[in-house]
Amino acid sequence: MKDKKVEPKKIMSETTQKEIDELKNIIKAASEQVIAQTIERLKKAYPNRPKEMEYFDEIANLFGKRAKELGQAKAEGKKIVGYNCIFAPIELILAAGAIPVRINSGWYDTSKLGDRVVPVEVCSIVRSTIGAKMIELSPFIEQSDVLINVLTCDGMTKLGEILGDYKEVWGLSNPRIKDSAQALKFWSEEIKQIKANLEKLTGNKITAKTLKPIILKTQKASRAFRRLQSLRKGNAVISGRDAMLVNQTYMWDDIDRWIEKTDALCDELERRVQNKEWICPPDTPRIMVTGTPMFWPDNWKLPRLVEEGNPPGILVADELCSSERILYDPVGIDEWTMDDMLNAIGERYLLACTCPCFTSKDGGNKDRINWLLTKAKDNHVQGVIYYITKGCMLYEMEYTRVKRALDKANIPVYYLDTDYTREDAGQLKTRVEAFIEMLNAQIDII
Amino acid sequence: MSEQQNNSGNSSGGCVDGGFWRWQEYHRVLSDKLWSSSDVITAGIDVGSVGSKAVILVNGEVYSWGVIRTGSNSPESAIKALDWAFRGTGLKQSDLKYVVGTGYGRVNVSFANKALTEIACHAKGANYIWGPQVHTVLDVGGQDIKAIRCDDTGRVTSFLMNDKCAAGTGRGMEVFADLLKISIEDIGEMSLNVSEEPPPVSCTCVAFAKTEAVGLLRKGWSKEKVLAAYTKAMAVRMSNLIKRVGLEPALVITGGQSKNVGIVSRVETVLGVKCLPMPNWRKDGIDPTIAGALGAGLYAKTLYDKTKNT
Repeated sequence: MKDKKVEPKKIMSETTQKEIDELKNIIKAASEQVIAQTIERLKKAYPNRPKEMEYFDEIANLFGKRAKELGQAKAEGKKIVGYNCIFAPIELILAAGAIPVRINSGWYDTSKLGDRVVPVEVCSIVRSTIGAKMIELSPFIEQSDVLINVLTCDGMTKLGEILGDYKEVWGLSNPRIKDSAQALKFWSEEIKQIKANLEKLTGNKITAKTLKPIILKTQKASRAFRRLQSLRKGNAVISGRDAMLVNQTYMWDDIDRWIEKTDALCDELERRVQNKEWICPPDTPRIMVTGTPMFWPDNWKLPRLVEEGNPPGILVADELCSSERILYDPVGIDEWTMDDMLNAIGERYLLACTCPCFTSKDGGNKDRINWLLTKAKDNHVQGVIYYITKGCMLYEMEYTRVKRALDKANIPVYYLDTDYTREDAGQLKTRVEAFIEMLNAQIDII
Repeated sequence: MSEQQNNSGNSSGGCVDGGFWRWQEYHRVLSDKLWSSSDVITAGIDVGSVGSKAVILVNGEVYSWGVIRTGSNSPESAIKALDWAFRGTGLKQSDLKYVVGTGYGRVNVSFANKALTEIACHAKGANYIWGPQVHTVLDVGGQDIKAIRCDDTGRVTSFLMNDKCAAGTGRGMEVFADLLKISIEDIGEMSLNVSEEPPPVSCTCVAFAKTEAVGLLRKGWSKEKVLAAYTKAMAVRMSNLIKRVGLEPALVITGGQSKNVGIVSRVETVLGVKCLPMPNWRKDGIDPTIAGALGAGLYAKTLYDKTKNT
């Protein structure tokens, strides 16, 4: 790890700190309002919303409790490691005594700022994350000591370079052909490098003794997570948006607390299943969403349109790296030796992943298609929305193959492309509602 | 059959204020049908971004309709369209058993019992107008193009919609009508009045296409030739949408642009298929512009029957 001197605020060098602060205050105030309104809306939409969601509502405030906790931990000398992708090995970050936080931005307004640095054709998430850094909006980016930047797609690769103007960035490169002979070997070396970097950053050596309890912890998180997802297989007891919120808070919350609260929520939901206390009428069309990740707080447009549409649908599953993909696969350990643990971590992040940045020797991301088909079956999905934000090329291009597979399985799929903007809400509403009407027509509601 | 056109204001050709884009508002009653108080009267109201349409059905059969321009106030446009459909029928709002709103302003139809999207309604309406052989519907509205696939009963099986750009839509055509000072109702015919089809304009974006058209006019192109080039570009865009959704004959075109022969014939050429023939809407046929409102009215009948049965 180099001790490089980072020159701050390079990408907005013409802007004074005063202007940056002003912009930050305006967007932050607007964002706090959006967060509060979105949660209020959920409460209004579902008068019988699970009580245990209250905790996640609190954690959902990006500028609230968790941001303060991170500040405190930092003051006590803890290191904070930001990451842009769920390939970042959380277990190693935790074992080194550091705190992981995901830094992808869901703010619409900051994507407009990002336009000053990169062309508008670039993916909205990348532009928005750049914009957030420009005005120091995200408490998670700001408090990170380093960023792990996984080179999944072109946008993310260059995002790391741009953020590198401000912070130390560790690139983590993933192989593209997942099942090639070299892939796992290459990836393991990358993971080992991150391990060495983390040890140097924190001064803590990662040993079998420190790593084992962490793996046990994330395995436990995975169990709580899977428990929640399996509760979505039958008649809905939780809205898709609430499930997404629980999933997403894992990316910045304290993990022990998150496990405890998620289990408490699952207890409540299990009682609801027993009492047949559904969150919406059981004949509401069951929808799965796949595609570009959706980040809190602004980019919750699609789930809202689905669940508050006329007619409404219910999201019962997703295949998003901002939600159900985060924890789906636990680290699988054979023996608790250091080598075995590191290998298992490598495999968990590489082999289990369904991201379209991968292809296989015979030329397809089969894992994603299998995942979608299995999920659709298990969760009784009636229709799939293939969600894209502009510039998300890997997902855009993989649509053809996914559609072919879903067509074959007789599962209707709709391609919905949008951007980090509020302006197309009317158009999107018509598209989403027409899709739900179409599903309704299949079950003779209209 | 009685027909009346709105002669108030400057709707005829619109040459007074340069409003070449203004198309004519009108209403019609199919007078071979009558209604009585024992009949089930339903209505469909399609509040589009450019036009508002209302259709009255008696026992699920088209009885009358009205087509007007959508004003700045959607709720008012809905009421106005309905009033036009009522003209000469003796019907009033309280006679309606069930109303379905559709179109861009569907949530603003205050007196509707239910709102459905125009996608479901256009497929249903096309099925009524042309029959069960219709499996692909291209609806070219004021600000959207939709390619819809449906089954023998007019139920949607798949669809695609253009993004928020106005290229290829009715609004885009209005811009061209004004630019070339040609009445919107004539531009389809005029665009076909060329000895040889020019290459399509390279940019379908309305704003840029306008600039390109001005350039072509300066270069000495005739209005007809410019129109042909733009119409061709629009037709290609529409055809691509149909190809993406997957063309399954028979194909029909609904919405305001269904009356633009320049568009229809070029879509047919690009796709290599013929659309089902346009009903003689000026005489006794149903105007494909009202397909959405008609579908809404048909759904209104179905939904009313459902409430009766439960």
